[in-house]
Amino acid sequence: MFTAQNLLSVGVAALLTAGLYAVMSYGLAIIYGVMKVINLSNAGFLMLGAFMTLVYFQAWHLDPLAGAFVNLPVFFVAGWLVYRGLVRRVMTSLPLASLLMLFALWLVLQNLALAIWGADDQSIITAYTYKALSVFGFRIPVTRLLVFGVALLVLGILHYVLGHTYVGKALRATVQDPQASLLVGIDTDRISAVAFGLGTAFAGFAGSLLTLLFSFTPDFGGAFQLKSFTIIVLGGLENFAGVTVGAAILAFVESFAVLFMKASLQNVIAYALLVIVLIVMPGGVAQLWSRNRS
Amino acid sequence: MRPLRPASLAAPVLGILLALVPLVAGRNITLLNLGFFTFLYVAQGLAWNILGGYAGYVSFGYAAFFGLGAYTTALLWLAGWPPVLTYPVAGLVAAAFSLVVGGPTLRLVGPYFSIATIGVGEAMRILMLNLDRITGGASGLNLPTTVPSKTWFYYAALVFAALAFGVAAWVRGSRFGLGLAALRMDQEAAESLGVRTAVFKNLAHVTSAVLVGACGGLYATYLQYVHPDTVFSFTESISLVLIALIGGLGTLWGPILGAGVFYAVQDYLQTSYPTFHLLAYGVLLIFILLFEPKGLAGLVGRAWRRTRGGAPPPRAAAGAGVEMAGPGRPGAGGPA
Repeated sequence: MFTAQNLLSVGVAALLTAGLYAVMSYGLAIIYGVMKVINLSNAGFLMLGAFMTLVYFQAWHLDPLAGAFVNLPVFFVAGWLVYRGLVRRVMTSLPLASLLMLFALWLVLQNLALAIWGADDQSIITAYTYKALSVFGFRIPVTRLLVFGVALLVLGILHYVLGHTYVGKALRATVQDPQASLLVGIDTDRISAVAFGLGTAFAGFAGSLLTLLFSFTPDFGGAFQLKSFTIIVLGGLENFAGVTVGAAILAFVESFAVLFMKASLQNVIAYALLVIVLIVMPGGVAQLWSRNRS
Repeated sequence: MRPLRPASLAAPVLGILLALVPLVAGRNITLLNLGFFTFLYVAQGLAWNILGGYAGYVSFGYAAFFGLGAYTTALLWLAGWPPVLTYPVAGLVAAAFSLVVGGPTLRLVGPYFSIATIGVGEAMRILMLNLDRITGGASGLNLPTTVPSKTWFYYAALVFAALAFGVAAWVRGSRFGLGLAALRMDQEAAESLGVRTAVFKNLAHVTSAVLVGACGGLYATYLQYVHPDTVFSFTESISLVLIALIGGLGTLWGPILGAGVFYAVQDYLQTSYPTFHLLAYGVLLIFILLFEPKGLAGLVGRAWRRTRGGAPPPRAAAGAGVEMAGPGRPGAGGPA
């Protein structure tokens, strides 16, 4: 069972999963970073992203990958509107009010989807869904490779935007210190709207990618959402680079744990990690190396 | 002894009126069923509100207590115990679990606690689904078929609701409740004034867990069947959150109004549009958060004051709503 071949193939699978995990968690991290709001509606937008992809596919035979890019602007606008209409109005009260507001939004999205599309499993089958490539003797499904490639591409673009454009720099400044950002003339309210749009766009995008790998229902999203929380908590909450680290850790732990335990218990790992890391290591993995440095 | 106000008579009068219902409409099974579920959720909403409303720790994981209670009753009943004797045990098992979980998680600041409880609740559901030797796994457990009448269940649930109301009312007026309100508004300030916040939070958690666990037990006897996916479901957890929030977070009468509306709406919509009730609650919750953070109880209070001709609003009591919750701390760092 524990041959080098086996371990290596699990490692490759984990790496591919990590790319997907990173994409679906970045939105959450951006919104949390800028507003310190935990976006419970992320799951709703993830699910909606999947269903929109289905709609594009059925109406125009649009490939899910193309659908993912169509989703970006659509969900950006949706996120912007949600921020303007709902989140901003409760930002001044307790952090809990925004959490509950986004929880209510999730409930609305989920049940709206249930009313429109019903509770049946939906799936999108493309020409390449069941194809696999042989790379160095491993058979890897094409869909997984595609998702990983697109995830890397989008994360690269995000990295560039955050590092080299005005909006990106302003966004990171707001994450670090909202008050100081206001002082140097950054419109933090606007940046918050951008962040919410961006975060929602990422959720819609990730939802499209998920349709390549899984079937989906309106309830879909909740499990991924909790994994995303685990990832950003592992990554240290306000640390964008940490998201990638957190995604990799979760993907590897999950993939290798399956060698030791029942596969149906796999999700428990993420939930247990979430609780343990929140309590023991609130700074996430980043805490470890910063502690060593100081 | 505080002076008796008309409002403090409302609860006993309502209780007696509800107790008379089976005598008048004892043959109406639908009505008795509706009563049973409403009371069961009134009791749980009131219990949830002790931690979620009074102390401000919103938990999305109460299904764990409900499920543990249901399974405790189920297993003891199968072992030959009479169901009624199992309810206290069900409550105790849930309480023990709440101590184990609450000890570490209640150290987290508000929103992080909420997220952690989602994790705990879902982890419990999956674990129970996989412990099929004990829980029956995905096929559930069939329980004995000899059960009391619907009228008995109606009264049992009414007693549970009355008990929960008594506990909630007592907590609200006691030093304990004042301590919870203080730590909700500002934990550090409360600590500096000598409130033992860790003890109080855990005590609130345990108190509500006992009640919810016992309710789980009653539910198991009523259905004569338990399944991990129903008693540990996330929907069960969020039902309690919705009942308390829609009724009025941190108010005494909120969960009663909330559960009443919850079941009336569900009952009305379930036959024709089975999925619409959660949609309706979601929309309702958004409106409540935007316009009336104290929920239906706040609305009723406002209407009551208006009909009495602009009497001054009553003094803020121990468990006020969200907007009373003191200075928001924007950007209040990571988890404590």
